[in-house]
Amino acid sequence: MSGRSVAIVGGVTTKFGVRPTTWSELAQEVGAALFRAVPELRAGDVDSLFVGAAEPERFAFQSHVAPLAAEQMGLAPHRILQRTELACASGQSAIRSAYAAIASGLSEVAVAVGVEKMNLPSMAEANSAMGCVMDRAWDGPHGATAPPFFAMVAQRHMLEFGTTEEQLAAVSEKNHRFANSNPTAQFHEKTFPREKLLRLPVVAPPLRLGDCSSMTDGAAAVVLVSEDLARMYTDTPAWIRGSGQYSDFHNLANAGSLTEWKGLTRASREALDRAGIGIRDLDLAEVHDCFTISEVIEYEALGLCGPGEGGRFAEDGRGDIGGDLVVNPRGGLLGCGHPLGATGIAQAVEVFQQFSGSVPAARQAPDPEWALVHNLSGSANVHSVMVYQRGGVA
Amino acid sequence: MAETPTVPERKEMPLGTPEHAPKARPKLPFLLDFFPLETADQTRLHRFYDRLREGRLSTTRCRRDGNLHWPPRTACPTCHSEELDWVDLPERGHLYAFSAVLAGAPFGMEGEVPFAVGLVDLVGAPLRLFGRIEGKSWTALRIGEPVTSESYEVGDGRVFYRFRTIG
Repeated sequence: MSGRSVAIVGGVTTKFGVRPTTWSELAQEVGAALFRAVPELRAGDVDSLFVGAAEPERFAFQSHVAPLAAEQMGLAPHRILQRTELACASGQSAIRSAYAAIASGLSEVAVAVGVEKMNLPSMAEANSAMGCVMDRAWDGPHGATAPPFFAMVAQRHMLEFGTTEEQLAAVSEKNHRFANSNPTAQFHEKTFPREKLLRLPVVAPPLRLGDCSSMTDGAAAVVLVSEDLARMYTDTPAWIRGSGQYSDFHNLANAGSLTEWKGLTRASREALDRAGIGIRDLDLAEVHDCFTISEVIEYEALGLCGPGEGGRFAEDGRGDIGGDLVVNPRGGLLGCGHPLGATGIAQAVEVFQQFSGSVPAARQAPDPEWALVHNLSGSANVHSVMVYQRGGVA
Repeated sequence: MAETPTVPERKEMPLGTPEHAPKARPKLPFLLDFFPLETADQTRLHRFYDRLREGRLSTTRCRRDGNLHWPPRTACPTCHSEELDWVDLPERGHLYAFSAVLAGAPFGMEGEVPFAVGLVDLVGAPLRLFGRIEGKSWTALRIGEPVTSESYEVGDGRVFYRFRTIG
């Protein structure tokens, strides 16, 4: 692979939740927190800023957010300043853009930040914002948002493979349990045993409240640097070793099979091939559990188990501590909430912290060397994957 | 896009009959209204809505490579020709998958909750359309359920399409 190596050398996540604060204040908060978390960072060294923000126009009535975020964070980028928008994957998109900028030699030190403010006085307006992610003129008038779409995915998976509500609840229980050791999570200090999850109200049948990630306010930021600079910041850089993306439809009519996510298989294979490893080499994965059924199908599409076996994989705890690998130790989107632009960055923060051994033992993957991060966006019509390797490994 | 002979012969679908008349929709500002602007001064696909007003659900087909599109287009995605014809779609279909919105409806649709949505495999055309499912309650729907397409009045002269269970 051409280009220079690029590493994440630090990062931070704000508290996720229903926050009594604005988009701009979240950007200030994450900026201040970033400079505390990465004391070696000098504002004058940051030549580029990438701002993951899915829908500030809808949620905050604000465009041109890249310079706004720079001002809030106390940065004055002079190489590349831009917003990245890829709906639910806007955060990873910011990291991928920073990676490309540094690998190509355009940038030396870049910050990728994700900010989203989703809780509005009118949640119906926020729901309309989520509807815009679909094909507005054709799917939107029917009332299409994420929950009914992923509910149909779950319905087909149950029909085709016999997946059960209990297996879906196993995903939710695991990720909420991990979230209990993550103080930044929206559902920190809330327990969701499977019996309780199976009694929660139905949002879009067969999905219940506990099967769905929530509307969340939050921000996260990471620092990316070129290979020559990484050791100035940390002993445990998270090296970007591979990335991949795939998309071949947008309108719901063109989804094809709802249960076979070929785009994820292709994107992850490309990312793993570039890294020179196989799926069995992974120690942990942060995957996009916007709904419980998503994580079930992601197990399958990544090749962690065979087609249709994702429900059993969850039930058997193979994605838990002590399983094949640790999946979503951060608490996932289910436990942490899902501020669209911040999620992909918060996942990368988790990888960095897992590599440096700075997370609580209850969610620490044992001696991790390889990690994969996945985001889907929209109706699972885009899949974005990155593969990280811990630095300092013999 | 030329007007050419259409595929299946079909009778007109009645516009929203009284018992199925849409609930009064609030007039929404453009940026909160999912229903598109339908007239020739707003969209090159205005014929779609003109035909829908006659009870005909239709789409475009490429004159060069024969590709049948959904949604209707102004350029073919496979050969990039802009010579497209309008064709009627079969009105019958079967539910491939369905769910219902019990909470979290977009602005202006809160009063319609609960409502069912589904993916419909059309009989005789290689298309699977997403849409609102009227008729039976979502609790009585099943995969494979036969449905038919229909048009309905949105208000202020606009129309849209949806599906209705048969029998």
